Amino acid sequence: MTVTVTERRIRWSGLLIVIGLVVQMITLIWVHPLAFMAFLLIGCPLVAAGILLFLYSIVSHPGVHQETAAPRES
Amino acid sequence: MVFNSTAVILMLFMAIVALLALLIAIRPEFTRARGGKMVAFVALCVFPAMAVWTGGNEHLERSTSTRFCLSCHVMADYGKSLYLDDKSYIPAVHFQNNLVPRDHACFTCHTDYTMFGDIHAKWRGLHHVYVEYFGKIPKPEDIKLYTPFNNRECLHCHAGMRAYEEAPEHHKNPQLLQLAASNQMSCMTSDCHDIVHEVGNWGDATFWTPKQEGK
Repeated sequence: MTVTVTERRIRWSGLLIVIGLVVQMITLIWVHPLAFMAFLLIGCPLVAAGILLFLYSIVSHPGVHQETAAPRES
Repeated sequence: MVFNSTAVILMLFMAIVALLALLIAIRPEFTRARGGKMVAFVALCVFPAMAVWTGGNEHLERSTSTRFCLSCHVMADYGKSLYLDDKSYIPAVHFQNNLVPRDHACFTCHTDYTMFGDIHAKWRGLHHVYVEYFGKIPKPEDIKLYTPFNNRECLHCHAGMRAYEEAPEHHKNPQLLQLAASNQMSCMTSDCHDIVHEVGNWGDATFWTPKQEGK
């Protein structure tokens, strides 16, 4: 099955969110300034990047299949 | 390590959200259908935002705990000063008599009770973490407050308190309460309540052991 550009972006967005959430989960194990900083400086930016990439993917591209798109007739 | 109920619920929530996001990452073609788009929006936007918000709140709440403040080695003596067996030490009296919540003892007095107090404290905290790991750590006794202790932090609890307002010592000078309220006369540096942590000057001090901890 072919994957559109939008779907590829959604895939990356999901992966960024998963990694960010895993980092955030790990930081919740400790009560320590480093855990707080890891949450703030690693976990949050990854999740935020994932969310922004997802939002960008749903507004930026019409979702035409990359490999099957036919040239437009003029 | 902390595994209280809040942390466990949050971690479970984050795990479920991560699982949902992973499923969509593995099968992005799921989003071609209208229903799939809606699920993706919730799984990749709404839930992660909620996870960040709740996780951030939990971390902010933890950062107000005594355990958090004392997790840096340089603060150990300040934590120890809370157990000094001497009523002249203001922090020790407050801590040992539950006048401040023991779990949030540092934060209760060392925070600005203003709109941006927490933000200022966290900003300074970032600098403290940098110094702890990359800078030159000062001796515990050399650590000073950025600004003189504001009476506002005392009056947050003591204002309106009968024992405070009717104490004979507070009426030796008829203007004293007014001066204290306007911060023109410090509670701590006016030869009144000036024995605070005094790290490095304890001499042969003894320490209080709470019964539940001394078993």
